[in-house]
Amino acid sequence: MDTRVVEFVSALRSRGVRVSLAESADSLRAITAVGVMDRQLFKNALKTTLIKEPADVPTFEQLFPMFFSGEGAPLQTPQGLSPEQQEQLQNALDQLKQQIRELMKMLANGEQPSRKQLDQAAQQAGVSAQMRSFRMNQQTQRWLTERMLREMGLTPEQLQEAIEALMKELKMQGMNGEGREEVNETIEQNAEGMREQVAKYIGQNMLQQPDDNPYRRRIDDLMNRPLASLTDAETDELRNHVRRLVARLRSRAALRMRHAKEGDFDVKATMRYNQRYGGVPIELRFKRHHLKPKLTVIVDVSTSMRPVAEFMLRMVYEMQDQVSKARSFAFIDDIHDISITFVEHRPEEAVPIVLHELPPGHYNTDLGGSLSTFCQDYLDTVDRRTTVIFVGDGRNNYNDPRLDLVTVLKGRARRIVWMNPEPPYMWGQGDSDMMAYAPLCDAVHQVATLQQLADAIDDLFQKR
Amino acid sequence: MFNKVSHITDALAGQQYIASDEISTVVFLAEKMGKPILAEGPAGVGKTELAKAWAGASGRELIRLQCYEGLDEAKALYEWEYSKQMLYTQLLRDKISQVMSDASTLSEAADKLAAEENIFFSMRFLLPRPLLRALMSEKPVVLLIDEIDRADAEFEAFLLEILSDFQVSVPEIGTIKAKTQPAVVLTSNNTRELSEALKRRALYLYIDYPTMESELNIVKMRVPDLAPMVAKQIVEVVQKLRQLDLKKSPSVAETVDWAKALVAINARHLDEKTLNDTLTVILKHESDIQRARRALNSKTTRDVGLR
Repeated sequence: MDTRVVEFVSALRSRGVRVSLAESADSLRAITAVGVMDRQLFKNALKTTLIKEPADVPTFEQLFPMFFSGEGAPLQTPQGLSPEQQEQLQNALDQLKQQIRELMKMLANGEQPSRKQLDQAAQQAGVSAQMRSFRMNQQTQRWLTERMLREMGLTPEQLQEAIEALMKELKMQGMNGEGREEVNETIEQNAEGMREQVAKYIGQNMLQQPDDNPYRRRIDDLMNRPLASLTDAETDELRNHVRRLVARLRSRAALRMRHAKEGDFDVKATMRYNQRYGGVPIELRFKRHHLKPKLTVIVDVSTSMRPVAEFMLRMVYEMQDQVSKARSFAFIDDIHDISITFVEHRPEEAVPIVLHELPPGHYNTDLGGSLSTFCQDYLDTVDRRTTVIFVGDGRNNYNDPRLDLVTVLKGRARRIVWMNPEPPYMWGQGDSDMMAYAPLCDAVHQVATLQQLADAIDDLFQKR
Repeated sequence: MFNKVSHITDALAGQQYIASDEISTVVFLAEKMGKPILAEGPAGVGKTELAKAWAGASGRELIRLQCYEGLDEAKALYEWEYSKQMLYTQLLRDKISQVMSDASTLSEAADKLAAEENIFFSMRFLLPRPLLRALMSEKPVVLLIDEIDRADAEFEAFLLEILSDFQVSVPEIGTIKAKTQPAVVLTSNNTRELSEALKRRALYLYIDYPTMESELNIVKMRVPDLAPMVAKQIVEVVQKLRQLDLKKSPSVAETVDWAKALVAINARHLDEKTLNDTLTVILKHESDIQRARRALNSKTTRDVGLR
């Protein structure tokens, strides 16, 4: 049983579940404590010691039956044969052709194929080699099972032929019809059982192959792919990942907030606190620094920017509790206050609404014009504690970039950060005004991938 | 004490706690292996309640440490009672001069004082906080560390040391080792990811919302005065509400509260008016209430057979 558990653990690991050595040792102790008689208890014991993330539970549920569902129906010997008939059967078996003799002996006598025999068959069928070179999926699994069955002579056609041969021999040995019927039935039942075992053998072996369905690696891969180049399915997958990512960023930001150097000496609090020591200032009190940033986000939602804009807005609003105030504006040809949408809806709902309400046009991006509206109507959203974030490619369709307005903003704001999905070598080419904007910014990040976006956002929460 | 998993289920049921197979198995293993339980899940599914029931079932005392942002060692482990020390110093001034009076030289006086100074850093002036109390307790205890995800990561690291050796060292006194190893339950609402190290050391238990059947059992057990028909209806409504996309889904605790509220207003059946009036007991956001009203009035009225 121990080896079985160890194999199970390695299958879990190859599916991306993190199981430490200590945990697998715990699982063995746990099953010693609960015993193996009750399957449900056994399963719960493994689950509590091996699975520490709710997200890993489905993997566990999927793998568990493949490893611990018992060995299928045990193979049986034909019942109700007289000693004489038994002898006839054995003689008949000996008369069979060599290829089918071994198999039929096992089937007729109800012998389980040993692990070694299965390994050997797999080797001969070339299954072991194939397993390493294929990605695991249901189709490959079926195909490999089929191949191994053929090698062992267990496909229905092969079996039919072999049974017929045996029947013929039995008839020659003089066994009566009833006995033959009995033998036939047992063999067919046993063959079914053996097929199940083979299927399970293949399934387990595939699961233990490293790199099978490496979910975690896939996410890493997606994190580093340009957002604009993702398919819809991949974007969905990343959306689900944003939550986890944000959770990590949030706890980092919160931690930083705590570790940040404390603020000024607080006379009032110190006096009050030290009353207990008769007014002797034994413990000093300091004011807390206000580190939570105030954000004003100005997002370009034109066609080329949509994927990045979506993830940016999503992440900023998921981190709302680490931000003292967030306002957001979207622009294509003119600026729109979209904060209200985020107040009324949750981020995952608000983002599609915003993108739906501002349909992209053709080559009509005008940041300069949008900025002048912004400075007229919303300049009060920017004060000395605000970080202004531009998310855009800086492509202005040869409109006036209005650098003067960016300078005004720079004067009022704490920092100006620009996030641009284009690589630096494309800045300033064509209608891009990025090179003109860049010197006015305190930081410029390239954010083509989710990873870069996460790093850029993490940077916003750095203390300065 | 508990030799079979079913004993645990029965004992917990004796504490009015309905434990699933999974919960009982984990508690059983925690008893056998002496490992802490880390219970995660949405708020109000009975994680804290589990610790209380376990303490009750095993006859241990429950010591609770509520975590919050900024919780530190002084508040979790121990603190010196400065004011008491100061008071004693003042009161004992006469005694001290008496002790010191026969010292002829300054160094002799210092030695004498040094010999006495231990009393100021003795257990007498140590204010044990929950963790230290759990370690020093003569009787076995259940230590409940509630909402560990609210505490900071450093506190989590500090907790790890205690949970692995069950001893702490107080510099002025020495190492204090647990007299009896406490049974530990950590709960988390999953607001942040806990460290791998903590998860590795604990038995993991994810408690989800109960099925309709077991929730009905819980309501019946906790609020026996409620008419069975109403109990069934409210559980059905709550289960439906959990399917909706709400800001905060109603918890089991809130279902029980709702049941109590209905008993208080003496509701015989759950009609539309009663439902609308009392919905605020289970839903705490205005937008949730709006959404629930819309969904319930259109759908549940027919499904549950409300009038």
